[in-house]
Amino acid sequence: MSEGEFAPPPTPNIESYGPNAVYNRERCYQLAQGFFKDAVRRARERHERQKELKLRLESPELLSRRELIWSHSGKLEAKYLRFLRTKEELSNYAIVKTIGKGYFGEVKLVRKRQDGRVYALKRLFKSEMISKEQLPRVRAERDALAESDSEWVVKLFTTFQDNVSLYMLMEFLPGGDLMSVLIKYQIFSEDITRFYTAEIIMAIEAIHNLGYIHRDIKPDNILLDRGGHIKLADFGLSKGFRKDHEKSYYQELLQRPVPPSSRPQNNRHSVNIDEISLTVSNRAQINEWRRSRRLMAYSSVGTPDYIAPELFSTNGYSFEIDWWSLGTIIYECLVGWPPFAAETFYDTYRKIINWPHTLLFPDDIQLSYNAVHLIRSMINAPDARLGRNGAAEIKNHPFFAGVDFSSLRRIRAPFEPPLTSDVDTSAFPVDDLPQEGDGEEEGGPAPGGGGDASGGGLLLGAEDPEMFLPFLGYTFKRFEKSYTA
Amino acid sequence: MSNLFSGINARLRGTANKPVPAKSPISSTPLTDDGQLALPSSLSQASQSSTSLSIASKLPPLPASPSLSQTIGMMGSPEEALNAYPLPRPLPVWLNPAYARHIVKGNFMTLSARPKTVEQGEWVAHQVVEHYRNLWNFVRVVFEKEEDGKTICNATSCPRMSAGMNHSYTWLNNRFEPIELPAFEYITLMQRWISGKIDDTKIFPTEASGVSFSYNSQITTTALLTGPDEWVGKRSGFPKDFFSICQTIFLQMFRVYAHLYWAHFTEPFYHLNLEKQLNSCFSHFVLTATALDLLKPQELEPMQPLIDLWAANGTFPPESKAYEYANLKAGARLLQLGGMA
Repeated sequence: MSEGEFAPPPTPNIESYGPNAVYNRERCYQLAQGFFKDAVRRARERHERQKELKLRLESPELLSRRELIWSHSGKLEAKYLRFLRTKEELSNYAIVKTIGKGYFGEVKLVRKRQDGRVYALKRLFKSEMISKEQLPRVRAERDALAESDSEWVVKLFTTFQDNVSLYMLMEFLPGGDLMSVLIKYQIFSEDITRFYTAEIIMAIEAIHNLGYIHRDIKPDNILLDRGGHIKLADFGLSKGFRKDHEKSYYQELLQRPVPPSSRPQNNRHSVNIDEISLTVSNRAQINEWRRSRRLMAYSSVGTPDYIAPELFSTNGYSFEIDWWSLGTIIYECLVGWPPFAAETFYDTYRKIINWPHTLLFPDDIQLSYNAVHLIRSMINAPDARLGRNGAAEIKNHPFFAGVDFSSLRRIRAPFEPPLTSDVDTSAFPVDDLPQEGDGEEEGGPAPGGGGDASGGGLLLGAEDPEMFLPFLGYTFKRFEKSYTA
Repeated sequence: MSNLFSGINARLRGTANKPVPAKSPISSTPLTDDGQLALPSSLSQASQSSTSLSIASKLPPLPASPSLSQTIGMMGSPEEALNAYPLPRPLPVWLNPAYARHIVKGNFMTLSARPKTVEQGEWVAHQVVEHYRNLWNFVRVVFEKEEDGKTICNATSCPRMSAGMNHSYTWLNNRFEPIELPAFEYITLMQRWISGKIDDTKIFPTEASGVSFSYNSQITTTALLTGPDEWVGKRSGFPKDFFSICQTIFLQMFRVYAHLYWAHFTEPFYHLNLEKQLNSCFSHFVLTATALDLLKPQELEPMQPLIDLWAANGTFPPESKAYEYANLKAGARLLQLGGMA
């Protein structure tokens, strides 16, 4: 070994650089790591597809179709490569209608200009994400949806961003949400409730298996596809429930007996009801309450109705919070309103904390023993809650006797959305939402920041929005097996 | 992977026709000498119409005769092999095996291997865009202004677009005269040219409906067309000059990498602890470029010793073209000097 053959390396000295270099360093570091992580994942997935292709090409039954199989594979791979190469931006999509709205953003029905396909495009505002500390939540949602390949979870095709917003392009589920079905039919029979509950169990189990806790299971987040089967979404538009944030919020509420600030902001839509006046004979009021609740979901307040009590405590929580939420949904399907409904959010919080005393079943609704038993097992203390040992123990509850969970999606759903076109939004409360341009299909506004409209180019001087450190790695593109040729 | 760190004692492969760099300074050669440099005429045409500047270069020296290269390869000692390069002494930090490491383990080849069913032009287009995004990730670090308004790569730090003592690249002005530019300006003009190409959907089509697939004589019945009217990417809608444009893009990106190594490896990448990231992206770049014939062996010259080192230390697997183009003796000598052989 010859000493001194190489120039001696100086002691690494990051301090001699200015703050921008340190910021750029972090960005460069993360992008390089991310590039290889993505490249390796894509290479692995590609390899799997090639292996599968080889098997099919060697299969004697498919001998006559080999050329078709080969060319189809080549074209699918090529389409994906073009998709990866193309810059996604809002102007690639024509906006049809706003179909959902919330505090942090909105969901629009859009049509891709290039191929005419219809999607749901969720938009979140970056500034709100940062100031409301929603970044971990946004990131978790993107990761969960990107990793999931489950038929029970709404499919995420791609994520992209501009200077102002984050976008998630998802499959459009034309059946609307379970909330709309509840509004339409008021209450469900036990058979219908059993069907939806069984499907929701499968969906929650699917995300739990990916290692994610949904944390916000409610009828608004349970969507219905073309056939009326459910898929879980988290449009993430309601106020997040970060633990430390809720805790202080909740404690502040508790210290003030009747805090006027905790009343729904939109009092015009709030209906003066309580658990006594909410009876089966009072259906109109139930729906008025639901309608007002939906409107409140668009405000900053969100709804606490389905939240497990441990989310408000300092003791932490785990997967079983989602089973509590399902318990409250089963109650709502059978009874007509969620178990802790109250005039103000403050009262709802209070009822949830005191659930052993406040979980009551109305006398004038006949429920089976098994239904009540199931609800009481799920709306229960976390260490005794049904589901804490996994979804199987819920599936084995007598309420589900005879249900074949593995074939649920193949049976006919109780309500199939009657659709007139691929952009039929009759299942969505579009009339309650401000619409731009009277529902005409029109272009989205040009993305903010002038310089980045140039495809793959990163022209100097213009900050590329994807280079903004907190949102690095947000962009995602799924290989789509079902592209039409 | 099995082939990591296993190539040290491998023999020099017979096909290695690595040029022996001349020690003389590079002469300025007119653009018309395109037998040597992959500078398609389309490049200057496009530049004329858009920026009134064209890319040209002080050309690297012609490769020495194969016999000389073989003589050194076959008979010279590892020390002689390394000494044949016009390298400064002491050797640059980035040739020290201790600083030529990576953030990725395993065979990089899997990342650039074309899936069998994918048409070649489509795959080349994908690789161009991926490597362009990757490279600019590093350029951004030296190009973005600090609070005092200064960039790390500037006209004072890098008055020429250089890659070591013996390589500097010039632009052609609109009278086809080579002009020297600071690296910052050169790279800025080049970036504008490259993104102009990548964003042009006539050159890099993006319509999903236009895709095709690769021929397979065992499976596809359509006859394989050969002859003057066949070109890479034709069936997928890429233009006739697509491949030569991609070669030029890769050559230009290679020059940027070479500048980053020769001028900025320590300032700032080593100081910012990004040298492994740079190494991984550049070695992936070299593997891809050589595997797809987007860079010719003689074009690798300013970075040849690092390529030799990566062949010798197993970064480049023996089945790769980058390995084939390497002088393993020079690489082994660098490992030896670094106390790793």
